Amino acid sequence: KAAPSAGPKPLYLCSPFVESALVKGNFKTIVMLPKYCDIMEWVAVNIFDFYNNLNEFYGCLTEFCTQQNCPTMSAGATLNYTWINQDRKHVHLPAPTYIDYVMTWVQNMLDDDNVFPTKSGQDFPPSFPSTVKHIYRQLLRVFAHIYHAHYAQILHLRSEPHFNSLFAHFLAFGGEFELLEMKDMHGSSSAPVGVGALWERWKGMGILTQ
Amino acid sequence: APSGNKPADYVYFDRSTVGFSDETVPRAKGAQMKLEHYYKVAVDSAIERNTRRVELERRLQGDTMMTEERKQRQLQQLGKKESTFLRLRRTKLGLDNFRTVKVIGKGAFGEVRLVQKTDTGKIYAMKTLKKEEMLKKDQLAHVRAERDVLAESASEWIVQLYYSFQDPSYLYLIMEFLPGGDLMTMLIKYDTFSEDVTRFYMAECVLAIDAVHQLGFIHRDIKPDNILIDKDGHVKLSDFGLSTGFHRQHDSSYYQRLLESASNTSQAPAQASRNSVMVNSINLTMTNDQIQTWKANRRKLAYSTVGTPDYIAPEIFQQRGYGKECDWWSLGAIAFECLVGYPPFCSESTHDTYQKIMQWQYHLAFPDDVHLSKQAEDLVRRLVTSADRRMNIQEIKKHPFFYGVDWTTLRNIDAPFVPHLRSITDTSYFPTNELDQAPEEAAVDTGGAATKDLAFLGYTFKRFSISSQAF
Ligand SMILES: Nc1ncnc2c1ncn2[C@@H]1O[C@H](COP(=O)(O)OP(=O)(O)OP(=O)(O)O)[C@@H](O)[C@H]1O
Repeated sequence: KAAPSAGPKPLYLCSPFVESALVKGNFKTIVMLPKYCDIMEWVAVNIFDFYNNLNEFYGCLTEFCTQQNCPTMSAGATLNYTWINQDRKHVHLPAPTYIDYVMTWVQNMLDDDNVFPTKSGQDFPPSFPSTVKHIYRQLLRVFAHIYHAHYAQILHLRSEPHFNSLFAHFLAFGGEFELLEMKDMHGSSSAPVGVGALWERWKGMGILTQ
Repeated sequence: APSGNKPADYVYFDRSTVGFSDETVPRAKGAQMKLEHYYKVAVDSAIERNTRRVELERRLQGDTMMTEERKQRQLQQLGKKESTFLRLRRTKLGLDNFRTVKVIGKGAFGEVRLVQKTDTGKIYAMKTLKKEEMLKKDQLAHVRAERDVLAESASEWIVQLYYSFQDPSYLYLIMEFLPGGDLMTMLIKYDTFSEDVTRFYMAECVLAIDAVHQLGFIHRDIKPDNILIDKDGHVKLSDFGLSTGFHRQHDSSYYQRLLESASNTSQAPAQASRNSVMVNSINLTMTNDQIQTWKANRRKLAYSTVGTPDYIAPEIFQQRGYGKECDWWSLGAIAFECLVGYPPFCSESTHDTYQKIMQWQYHLAFPDDVHLSKQAEDLVRRLVTSADRRMNIQEIKKHPFFYGVDWTTLRNIDAPFVPHLRSITDTSYFPTNELDQAPEEAAVDTGGAATKDLAFLGYTFKRFSISSQAF
C-alpha cells in the first residue's frame, strides 16, 4: 500500500518539517491583487506559475510515483480520488496516470488562447472563473497526493522548505481569491484529506491567515 | 526520538538519496533553484509594482490642476499597463516570433541580426549567444549581476534591452536596433575625423561612460565596435553587461600563456618590463604597410574570440586590480584613433600590442605627419597614462579640448553624421556583405543537458516599459 498513514502522525505534520519554509513571513505581499490591476490577469499568471512550479517538483518524483507504488490517487489513509471519464463515470486510476491527465489537461488550457488569452486586446472568456476553480481543485489533489505518498522522498531530496512554501503560497492565493472549497480541503469525515490538517496547522502558526 | 526542548512531535529523519536515479538529485536541485529564483523575482516585482503605483499616486496628488476624473483615468491606465505586463509573462516569446531580416554584426559569442517581430512588425536587433561558449569562459555570475542592473537601467546612453529568452543552446537578447552602425565601421570608412567631429563623439562617450559608472559598473571593454550610432547620429554603448567578462582578453593568465607561446620571446611580462633590451626588440613605429595590414584585419579581429586588446588599460592585464579609471584609458586610445587613424599601440600581433600597452611610456607616439592641436594631444596624454595620473570625470569635462561643449544639451544638438535611412530595415551602415550570410534563421538546437540551463536562470527577462506594451 502507498502510505503508512494510519497510526503515526504524517511526517509533514511533524517538527521540524512542518515549520520548514523557503519563504518566511506572510504571503500577503505576493498574493494580493495589485491595485488597479485586472483580477483575471493576476489569477491567470499565478495559475500559470503554480502549474509550472508544481510540475518541476512532481518531475523529481516520477521514478517513485509509479503504477506499482501508487496504484490509486491517494491523499489520505482512506481517501482515493477518482477521475471522471468521458462517459461521466468515476474511475480509479493509478496516481501517475491521474496526475498525467491533470497536468496535460491544465497545460492544454494554458496553451489555449481561448481559455488563457495571450494576444493583446483579447478578453478572458466568461467561463474563466469557473475554469480556474476546476484547475485549482485538481492541482490541490496533486499536492495532496505528493504530501501523502511522497513526502519522504521530498525530505530525502531536501526539498521540503521549497515544497512547503509552494503549497502554502498556493493555499494563501486560493484563500484570497476563493478558489478553494472547504470540502476539498478537508474531505469527508470518513475520508479526510491529509493536507487539510496541514492547512489548519499553518493557520495556527500564522503562516496562513485564518 | 524526541529529546531536550524539542517539541513532542520532533522527528529525526535520515536523509539519503541511495537508490535514487542519477537524474533525480540534480533535477531536484534544479527545481529548488528555480523556485528560489521565482520567489526572489516575485518579491522584487511586487515591490517595483508598488513603487510605480505610489509614485504615480503621489504625482497625481501633487497636481492641483488636473481633474479628479483624469487622475482616475491615469491610474486605470497604469493598471492596464501592469496587466499587460502580467500577460506578457504568460506569453512565450521565442525564435519563431521573429523573422531575420539580415545578419548585421558578429561578436565573439554569436551574431547580431536585424529582426522583425512577426505580429507587430516592429524592428529589433537580436544578439545570439552560444551558452556553451559562455560557460567555457566561466564568468556567468558576475556578468549576470551586471546585466541585471543594466537591464533595469533606462539610460539614453545605453542600448535598451527589451526582452531575452533562451533555448537549450542559445541565449537571445532582443535590443533596440541602432541603424547607424558602429564607430569601428565609421572609422574604417573615414580613416580619421576632424577635431570637431572627434570632439563630438568623445564628448558623448564621456557622458555614456559616466552613465555606466554611475550605475556602479566598469565597462572594461570600451572599443569602437561597442560604440553604436542611433538614427539621429548620437552615441549609445552596446549591451556590455553580457559582452564583458566573457572575453578572454580580460583574463590575465590568458595573456600570460599567449606571451609564453609567442614565438619571438619566452619572457614573462614582469621580466620584460624590467628588461630594457626587450623594448628595442619590438617595433617602435609601424610602417604604413603595417598600418594598412592592421586596418585590413581590424574587422576580423572584432569577430574573433580573442578580440582586440588595443583599447585595454595596462592595469587590467596586471593582477593588482583596477577601478573605473580603466575606461578613461580606453577613451584616450579611441580619441587617438579618431585623430590619427589607428590606435596608439596597434601592432601586427596581439602579443606585440599587449607588450606595447604594458610599456606605454615608450610607445605612445604621435606621428609627425598628422597635425594635432595641443589640446587634442594633451587630452590623449592625460588619458593614456598611468591610472593615478589619469584624469577623472570632472577633469575630463573641464579639459581644454572640450572647450565649448555644453554637457547638458549634448544629446540634443545635431550630430555630425546623421544616417540617411531609406526604411526601418535599412542596413547600409553595416558591413553585411562582409559577414557570411549564415543560415537565414538562427539554428535551433533542442539537445543539451537541462542542468546547463540552470546557469542561465536569471537571464530570461522582460522589460516593464511603454515599449514592452508594444511588444
Ligand atoms: N543594438 C544594436 N543595433 C545595431 N547594431 C548592433 C546592435 N548591437 C550590436 N550591433 C552590431 O553588432 C556588432 C557586434 O555586437 P557586439 O559588439 O555587441 O557583440 P560582441 O562583439 O559579441 O560583443 P563584444 O562587445 O563583447 O565584442 C556591433 O559592433 C554592431 O555593429
